Amino acid sequence: MTDRVIIACAVIIALVYFYGTAQIPTLQIGDPLGPKAFPIILGIALLISAGLLLAEHLKDRKSAAAAPAESQPFEWRYLKVLGLVAAWTAGYYVVLEPLGYVIATTVFLLALMAWFNRGRWQMNVLSAVLFGAGSYVLFVKLDVNLPKGVEAVSPVSAGIIAAVDVVFNVFNSIFRAF
Amino acid sequence: METLTHILNGFSVCLQPINLWYTFVGVFLGTIIGVLPGIGPSAGIALLIPVTYGMNPTSALIMMAGIYYGTKYGGSTTAILINTPGEAASVMTAIDGYQMAKQGRGGAALAISAIGSFIAGTLGVVGLTIFAIPLASMALKFGPAEYFMLMLFAMTAVSSLSGKSPAKAAISTVLGLMIATIGIDLQSGQPRYTLGVPELQDGVGFVIAVVGLFAIAEVFCTMEDMSRGVRPEIIRLKGKLWLTRSEWDRSVMPIMRGSVIGFIIGVLPGAGGTIAAIMSYVTEKRMSRHPEEFGQGAIEGVAGPEAANNSDTAGAMVPLLTLGIPGGGATAVMLGAFIMYGIQPGPMLFQNRPDLVWGLIDSMYIGNIMLLILNLPLIGIFVRLLYIPAGILMPLILAISTIGIYAINSNLVELYIGLIFGVLGYVFRKVDIPVAPMVLALVLGAMMEQSFRQAMTISGGNPKILVTSTICVVLAVVSAISILLPFLLPRIKKWREGTETA
Repeated sequence: MTDRVIIACAVIIALVYFYGTAQIPTLQIGDPLGPKAFPIILGIALLISAGLLLAEHLKDRKSAAAAPAESQPFEWRYLKVLGLVAAWTAGYYVVLEPLGYVIATTVFLLALMAWFNRGRWQMNVLSAVLFGAGSYVLFVKLDVNLPKGVEAVSPVSAGIIAAVDVVFNVFNSIFRAF
Repeated sequence: METLTHILNGFSVCLQPINLWYTFVGVFLGTIIGVLPGIGPSAGIALLIPVTYGMNPTSALIMMAGIYYGTKYGGSTTAILINTPGEAASVMTAIDGYQMAKQGRGGAALAISAIGSFIAGTLGVVGLTIFAIPLASMALKFGPAEYFMLMLFAMTAVSSLSGKSPAKAAISTVLGLMIATIGIDLQSGQPRYTLGVPELQDGVGFVIAVVGLFAIAEVFCTMEDMSRGVRPEIIRLKGKLWLTRSEWDRSVMPIMRGSVIGFIIGVLPGAGGTIAAIMSYVTEKRMSRHPEEFGQGAIEGVAGPEAANNSDTAGAMVPLLTLGIPGGGATAVMLGAFIMYGIQPGPMLFQNRPDLVWGLIDSMYIGNIMLLILNLPLIGIFVRLLYIPAGILMPLILAISTIGIYAINSNLVELYIGLIFGVLGYVFRKVDIPVAPMVLALVLGAMMEQSFRQAMTISGGNPKILVTSTICVVLAVVSAISILLPFLLPRIKKWREGTETA
């Protein structure tokens, strides 16, 4: 079943890709092949690969009609959870810049941990808050730009960051001393 | 003589305090990444790339290499204690290592895997040191046609060797190549397949793809397992972290054989650490006088595969450094890192930047010593990582992936692209399509098209140039063999079995 879906998807992707290739405007400058030749080869290669899979699929069906069922069949229940996780992650990206990294990340983590590490809320709150603030300070130290958002005006998270920063500096100076 | 000077100079580079420090950071992170199930060397290196932007390339590459070979040490710990490979290549270690741990000999299993890893890792670097120069000087003769054929070989080999179905791997490879064509065509300046999205004009960043396909996808898989209620049981470490004399005697030869097998498999494109470990395990079982012990806690079954997957990493560095062509997922990510620093690995690098190449290679000797210390006396610290509940760890990996992607360009669209790759990687895993070929194709795609078009420009559009030189013909033949191999192997096996019984 999955094989046939993969084959169908591959053929559709190849066709869309061919269509996309045809949309590339060609000017006869540069190399003799132009921007289209290599993609056309790739499209054909994908069709051949799909053909190979079809051959494999037919052979498998003939040789092992009583093949063991798939070990982990799709179950909508779990897929729903994952869909929610993906949507939650996308939502996290939406609010990342307006809310700022620290708040958005802490809330994002808290919800996931509340679901997947149920019942141990003290541990969850501690790790979410520590990670949110700690990673921010660490990565700012490493010159990585993370969205500030409302942190600039929010005294609470600014305070957390300052506190973590102090700890970080202490460790740093201890480390330097060696 | 000149080479020897370069090799020794490399030590003066890697013994600089700053580089020693980054070697340590690399192998330390590597051990952590190896111990933690759910994040492997490819994702680990990719996540670090944005952080290393401002660094000196030599130090950054030393650190990334450290992560790569460090994961193999860490992966065995998880395999032995919770029967889950912390890193794909330690899958064979889990079989006998976990049994040993259950019987209270976990200390011996951890010790032999650290010692075996160290011996094999060091022997592998010796092999890398010896083979680098001759291969690099051979690669100097390579033109665009040869490079194109070499990449073709790397991809066909990866396709036919990774996963159960070569056709699915081929689909993965071609899709990767297609994704690599997205963006502005460098030779004609035409945008291709960008759908009008400005972020796609520079193409799909491979860091984004790798983080999505490996890290985010793995988080989804683990979360699904958690929802199913699959929970691994951690075996408490008992007894001394040392071996008895007889255990050592039984392990020496497997380690030696594993080192050789691993190195050879590593140099060849496609196969990689997992296959090296499997081959070593099968070899040991066949050569053993008591094969029935395998699967019940035979120390040879830990020593051999662990050695093999460690010398494999050194072997995999050979084509990456000498030819500039990686043979697998993690080395492909490293190539991407090289390119980001504006460094093209390959024969010219040995001539132009011997300090970088040999500093990197020599740092691997030092890194292996550090790893032995980290993984033998200090392994208890890393074992504690296994007690972090997955329900906390997985959300953290998602957040770290977000930082890794966002840090590249501070661009939100790239975060969504990463998430899409995460979903794609999850689906691929569910339907048994391997992702490593896709990553290799993504990194090599642009280079492959360039060399193809350059070759065609040289020949005036005549494809015959791809089979005119001897090197090209040899590469074409081995590519053809690697395509046919999965189809021929069962037949050869059947034929041999037939003659044996007859």
